[in-house]
Amino acid sequence: MRLADRSFDAIVIGGGHNGLVAACYLAKAGKRVVLIEASDHLGGALATGEISPDYMISTAAHLVEAMPRRIEKELKLARNGLRFAARNVPAIALSRNKRHLTLSTRRRDLAALGQWNAHDAAALVEFLARLKSHATALRPFLLGAPPLSGGPSSEAATAFRKLVWRARRLGQPSFEDLLHALPASIGDIVDETFEMPLLRAAFAFEALRGTAEGPYSPGTAFNLIYRRALQLETKGASLPRGGMGALIEALRRSAESFGVAIKTGAAVKRIIVESGVATGVETVTGDFLRAPMTLSSVDPRATMLDLVGPACLDAGLAARLAQTSRRGATAKLNLALEGLPSIAGLSPEEYGARLLVVPPLNEFDQAFAAFKRGELSDEFAMEVTIPSVVDAALAPAGHHVMSILIQHVPYDVAGGWAGQRDRLLNRVIETLSRYAPDIRARIIAGEMLLPSDIEAKFGLAGGEWHCGEMRPDQLLMFRPAPELAQYRTPLQGLYLCGAGNHPGGISGLAGQLAAKVALSEGRRA
Amino acid sequence: MSGESDIPFVEETGHEEPDETSGFREQPDFERLEASPTVDELFAPASDEPPFSRCVLTTSLHLSVAAESRTNRWTDWNGYTTPEILTTIDDEYRALRQAAALSDISPMVKYRISGRDAASYLDRLVADNVMRLSVDEVMPVVFCEDRGFVVGDGHLFRLGESEYRLVTEETHLAWLLDSALGFQVHVEDVGAALAALSLQGPHAAAVLNAAGFYDIETIRPYAARWFDLGGIPVYASRTGATGELGYELWVDPEDAPMLWARLFDKGAEFGLAATGYAVRELARIEAGIPRVGCDYLGAFAAVDLADASTPFELGLASLVDLESGHFTGRDALRRLKQREPRHLVVSMALDFPEPVQFCAVEREGAIDGTATSIGFSPALGLNLALARLRYRTGPVALSVEVDFREGLSVRRLKIPARLLTEAVIGSPMRHAVPAPLLAEF
Ligand SMILES: Cc1cc2nc3c(=O)[nH]c(=O)nc-3n(C[C@H](O)[C@H](O)[C@H](O)COP(=O)(O)OP(=O)(O)OC[C@H]3O[C@@H](n4cnc5c(N)ncnc54)[C@H](O)[C@@H]3O)c2cc1C
Repeated sequence: MRLADRSFDAIVIGGGHNGLVAACYLAKAGKRVVLIEASDHLGGALATGEISPDYMISTAAHLVEAMPRRIEKELKLARNGLRFAARNVPAIALSRNKRHLTLSTRRRDLAALGQWNAHDAAALVEFLARLKSHATALRPFLLGAPPLSGGPSSEAATAFRKLVWRARRLGQPSFEDLLHALPASIGDIVDETFEMPLLRAAFAFEALRGTAEGPYSPGTAFNLIYRRALQLETKGASLPRGGMGALIEALRRSAESFGVAIKTGAAVKRIIVESGVATGVETVTGDFLRAPMTLSSVDPRATMLDLVGPACLDAGLAARLAQTSRRGATAKLNLALEGLPSIAGLSPEEYGARLLVVPPLNEFDQAFAAFKRGELSDEFAMEVTIPSVVDAALAPAGHHVMSILIQHVPYDVAGGWAGQRDRLLNRVIETLSRYAPDIRARIIAGEMLLPSDIEAKFGLAGGEWHCGEMRPDQLLMFRPAPELAQYRTPLQGLYLCGAGNHPGGISGLAGQLAAKVALSEGRRA
Repeated sequence: MSGESDIPFVEETGHEEPDETSGFREQPDFERLEASPTVDELFAPASDEPPFSRCVLTTSLHLSVAAESRTNRWTDWNGYTTPEILTTIDDEYRALRQAAALSDISPMVKYRISGRDAASYLDRLVADNVMRLSVDEVMPVVFCEDRGFVVGDGHLFRLGESEYRLVTEETHLAWLLDSALGFQVHVEDVGAALAALSLQGPHAAAVLNAAGFYDIETIRPYAARWFDLGGIPVYASRTGATGELGYELWVDPEDAPMLWARLFDKGAEFGLAATGYAVRELARIEAGIPRVGCDYLGAFAAVDLADASTPFELGLASLVDLESGHFTGRDALRRLKQREPRHLVVSMALDFPEPVQFCAVEREGAIDGTATSIGFSPALGLNLALARLRYRTGPVALSVEVDFREGLSVRRLKIPARLLTEAVIGSPMRHAVPAPLLAEF
């Protein structure tokens, strides 16, 4: 039977993790759900791919940091095959003089740091405690729909008053510190906190990774708090066994077990709007599907401006959506390696960590300046994982795969990318060679995804990760615009359920919360 | 975009004297600078006067209008020098209500909106259904922002299948361009490229007829047509916010003085007189038409939303069609319609035989609103006002306090005011088709 001939209660557009999560929750509540994905496979930016035969890697995103345990449990992801090769993956800042720093407060790590710089050991404990307390104050915001803002509603004011109250309860210095941290740049914060350049740079990178900001851009300190808050629901960063694609596979099985009909290779061309009500979708192949509710996990800007169209929207909303910013700033390099590159000073079990390769802050800032000018920087901050260390099945025995996020790579580079892909590759390998001198010799194969490749491959506009940059002015009730922040749209029956909505990130929360809103309205109607 | 004027723009080319005191300043390497294209662009001579560089503008009719002035009293209208009063307000008023009054309304803001999606673009822009507007027809329109607050109002002319003209009191280009996202439409400010004359009064059709606008009387209210006046193309519309029979004439700025002269030439015997801004305002107050920037603030001009108004609060509900296609603010207006308005912009009359000024409007002794436009109607012998009153149900006993001066003494008076539910002046002729030519009355 053709899909178009079946009748559904809900249509989910886009089969990334959020679309899948939304579909699961809707189906779990008894709705007949169809999920439509443009590409011939599910997952969006969460995918496991082959670098070359037998070398598997998470093609784009490479860690799960923010998916709440509750969603894992409610959707029975473990029963549907999700296993983690590692949880609580620590972060280690690699040092050029082989004294690497684990960013943790475990006694052993602290003792090591204390021997090197006692001030910073104490500062680290205090810094992480502060970070956690700010994150805790923010946490309730992240678990529900953001407060309604604008108009006569006082919801936002109330929510912020509560935030102030929570923060105050955590003690006066902490509250002032939070007020200070909200607009601050991460660079200023780490400069006043730590003495060691490596610690400064490492935490700056933690705040900036995936953004188009520099260490001294205002508002970047908040990124770190926000990221930490999202992690409160999880067991730190995790590596799914089999790469990110395995998470999608488990979600797919879960969805199917709840009865979701999944159609891949079918792009939605437009959302059908009839007198202000979204009544279904038309696919590029000319199929019509109708349902009383449609949830789109596609970038909210594309959903509203391309699939719905400005004519059905108020002009102010359309103009504001068009202005929301999507600057991709991160490239991805995946390498197949013959053997494990040796990083002096790293103990064997530490190869499974999240390795941070960071230049000192001033060079980091220059890398950002080069990025802004659309040039290739000399230095790059990078996050490196070697998932095959904990998940041997990813590569043939004794061989490895390495996944590298390269920060501050512009979408367009002066002079064009044609001649400069290799230059970028060389600079990255050169930088890595400072820590792992044998890396160049071990490379068997590799793939480089520039922001423009990420855009083309995963449909992420500008190569920007989150379908709308995650910066303070585009988070919470501003994500993606005040009118759309609560997953509802001005069109009855249309909801937004992707990462472009609150809270963003690989959390599935947008999908879950949007499904909840849609279900509650469905009941009311 | 800025005003065209016949005063040539003189470019400032004063060479800077080398600064002795800063001898240490590095000399730029001119050869290298010149080679780089971006620098070339920077120093390229500006071919045109930069937009908005000029603050005092004159219309193409300025000299014609100035020749009629006996008072040298001028005012500002959207940056253009405009006559406040040309002779006396009484004479000008009499011309308007009893003969024919001609004024230069070129300072009105005019946009040309064209392109494949012009109709659907405008339909999304304004609160009414634009789709029913035929070519050579005009409709009054109001347009709102997302929250349902009025951005501005004006008149929409349909000039062709996909060509429109929007005439407004204030500039709205930014909003019009913002609204164009996703539409194949071209929005252009033609304010300086188009002159406009307003001819209002019981003899208006007769004057035009005598001037060669043949069959002018057959134009219906809110309709328009092209005329050829001995080689001058003129677009005449039966519009004008005066409550009289009246027309507006749209013409190339170069031809405008000729048209002006011709109208006076042929219109003198009908009592045609040139009139200024003061009479225009008075006629508007008599007709009870609020003006943006004066009786209400546009949504983007209002700092406090309490100062912005919905169409319902302005008495413009008839320009809002909530049932046909989507327009900006429709969802908000649907909700607002269920609620009580916060305030109302109303017309009031004061039975007092002398012109007075006042500001506060009181209801049962307490201040309840603001008079925003005041005028003394010679025809009615009444003070009229537009006022913004807080919305209340129930009986209304309004009054205002005025300081009335006689010679050197002053009396403070409390004068009752009454609400006007319909326009106090409205000539039945303004609806008549065919419009009366002089022979017929
Ligand atoms: C290299 C990289 C690293 C990243 N690292 C992190 C990280 O560490 N932490 C983090 O939080 N986030 C990270 N992200 C971002 C994260 O991957 C995304 O935010 C997340 O995958 C978005 O999930 P989603 O389900 O909301 O949307 P998507 O995964 O984008 O899913 C949308 C789906 O809709 C489909 N689609 C699009 N248009 C249509 C249409 N018209 N019809 C039908 N289907 C359509 C797409 O094909 C896609 O499958 C990273 C992204 C990249 C690229």
